[in-house]
Amino acid sequence: MIEISNLTKRYKNIIALDGVSLEIKSGEFFGLLGPNGAGKSTLMNLLAGYIEADSGSIKFDNEVFSRDSIQLRKKIGLAPQSLALYDDVSAETNLKIFGSLYLMNKKELKNIIKEKLDTAGLYERRKDHVKTFSGGMKRRLNLIAALLHSPEVLLCDEPTVGVDPQSRNAIFDFLQKINDEENITIIYTTHYMEEAERLCKRIAIIDMGKIIAQGTKDELLNMLQYKEEIFISKNEKTIPCINSLSKTGEITEFTDKYVVKVKGDIKMSEIFKLFEESGIDYSNIDFQRPTIEELFLNLTGKRLRD
Amino acid sequence: MRTVLKLFVKDYTLFFRDKVALSLTFLIPVVLIFIFGKVFGGLESGIEHLQVGFINNSTAPVAQKLEKVLDSTKNFLLVKKYKDDKGNVIQYDTNVMKNHIRAGKFSSALIIPEDAFTDTSKSLKLKFFYDPKNEFEMQLVDGMLQKIIMQQIPELFQKSMMRQAETDLGKEKGSSFNSEIARTVNKYYKIDTSLILSDIPDSQNDTGRAENIFGNIVNIEKQQLVGKEIANPMATRSVGGWAMMFLLFTITGSATSLLDEKKSGVMIRILSAPVTRSHILWSKYLFNMSLGIIQLSVMFLFGFILFKIDIFSNIFNLILIVLAASSACTAFGMLLASLVKTTKQADGWGTLLILMMSAVGGAWFPVSFMPQTIQFFSKLTIVYWSVEGFLAVLWRGAGFTDIWQYLVILVGISVAINIWSVYNFKRGNVF
Repeated sequence: MIEISNLTKRYKNIIALDGVSLEIKSGEFFGLLGPNGAGKSTLMNLLAGYIEADSGSIKFDNEVFSRDSIQLRKKIGLAPQSLALYDDVSAETNLKIFGSLYLMNKKELKNIIKEKLDTAGLYERRKDHVKTFSGGMKRRLNLIAALLHSPEVLLCDEPTVGVDPQSRNAIFDFLQKINDEENITIIYTTHYMEEAERLCKRIAIIDMGKIIAQGTKDELLNMLQYKEEIFISKNEKTIPCINSLSKTGEITEFTDKYVVKVKGDIKMSEIFKLFEESGIDYSNIDFQRPTIEELFLNLTGKRLRD
Repeated sequence: MRTVLKLFVKDYTLFFRDKVALSLTFLIPVVLIFIFGKVFGGLESGIEHLQVGFINNSTAPVAQKLEKVLDSTKNFLLVKKYKDDKGNVIQYDTNVMKNHIRAGKFSSALIIPEDAFTDTSKSLKLKFFYDPKNEFEMQLVDGMLQKIIMQQIPELFQKSMMRQAETDLGKEKGSSFNSEIARTVNKYYKIDTSLILSDIPDSQNDTGRAENIFGNIVNIEKQQLVGKEIANPMATRSVGGWAMMFLLFTITGSATSLLDEKKSGVMIRILSAPVTRSHILWSKYLFNMSLGIIQLSVMFLFGFILFKIDIFSNIFNLILIVLAASSACTAFGMLLASLVKTTKQADGWGTLLILMMSAVGGAWFPVSFMPQTIQFFSKLTIVYWSVEGFLAVLWRGAGFTDIWQYLVILVGISVAINIWSVYNFKRGNVF
């Protein structure tokens, strides 16, 4: 549905996007994960038609999209990273203003506003000025303002910034619901690995304007040289035996523990067998599946939140 | 105390990093002090090159001398000729002069009539036509003219005094009175009587050197040509200038809301809808323009209700000037929005430019008070042409044929600034 080919965007001497290519299928919940300044918002601005790429192309349903593609914009809804709302007017007036830009029928717009406010749990506060809303309420309003014209694609640019965990969960549920029930394609940018893992069917990892990896969570994790991390407490029982595990993967020694990164071709049954043979008690062992954070660290040498 | 000091230093650190606060604190007062200094400093030393219509129909030597003196003074620029429709340069006559004052070409004219000072005149007769569109200016011109006449041609007064003495005493008694004075002076001071008599001026000849000033010897017949029927001259004269200043503040604030929308992210949301940049610019332009029209209308209505400013007798032309002025102010606001990067910058620059334009453009005091160089810049401001337009319509009751040039200039300024703004918007930061 959305085909991004070799997209490049520069700001003076800074390359914000460097040959980005992606394919996003209709109805997909697609995550764009990367640290601050990686180029996520630039890509969103290009997808929203706010800025023009220096080179490369974006196609919506095989139709080339640019800053001048006015009609194609009706297919897109944008929830910007900043709270793009008028603070001094009510939630309802905000939605009327933004909805009117799509030249919708007044009655139809009124009904949609009611429905969306209801869904977002803001109907009771519809007459209140936005400046009196909590961060979470503003975020929800910011989100529904992008959905009034029933877009096919929703661009969510870091929609949980500055939101408390409870509101964050509400936003997640809301997005999952519209993705499942209304089959809206969602492109979701975040620098929170947990959000991408929880919500997105496919994830592209972006850093310094380049897509460094993309795929489902499993596909991404398979890119790592190991599939499991084993944490073994460092004590008189485990120290003599640790070398026996060296053939299972790379062992890193810390002051209080060992971390074994298990090679992809090693079966877990082999590992358990080794533990039993070397007499390492299970109470000294903890298992953890690697995360995308590990992949990011592996690929870039830095953490997502650096 | 250390805490207070730390907080004190913090405030100064922030203050010096805030360029807008800096400019508002220092630049604006300095610029305004400069303009006020130039204007009021200029007033102390006398205004310069103020255009005054001049006709001299008298052949009397004193009239010729007066013309020469006025010609040589730096205060006035005597306008004696005009170009007719065919481009012929023609000497003014009284009727044309009056019409030109009524049309606002200049504010005053001095006429020396044929009988200004005949062989039997005891006082110099002059005519002064004026349009008090600027009351202060007119008082100043009147005062300066009288001062120049009194200072530059004292013999006129002496001659006049002699004629008065002759009228009162008779020619023979007048002469014997002089001889008696000469004899008395000779008796006590031993000065030759012939020398004394030669120093006393003959009423028929220019020989006097007396320094006394007698204001009533110059008889100036004043005739107000414009605005006599206006109920509240002061308010009618000043409403345009003040209205323009407030209009500029309002529209600049409104136009720069584009920057707020960009900062808040609303702009990107709007532009993700089926909306073009042209749509945004046009809507902003129309909004600001209509806001300007509404604001001016309210201000004039307020003037009508409270100060009896007659806005209805020339309403059509007033509407035209309101439209042109609003259009030019809107263009200014849009230009400012296209040039600055933040609302803070817009506030700082807006305040500076609006106050400067108001001061230089004649919203606060007549442009004619200002030095020639500043007067040149006055004509580059929207305020000047709008104030002139409002004065023409409200003060002189000017018709379309008299105001079209103001309309053309204001619309021209508006078009030029808009082209510049659109160019800036296309390559600028807002979009």
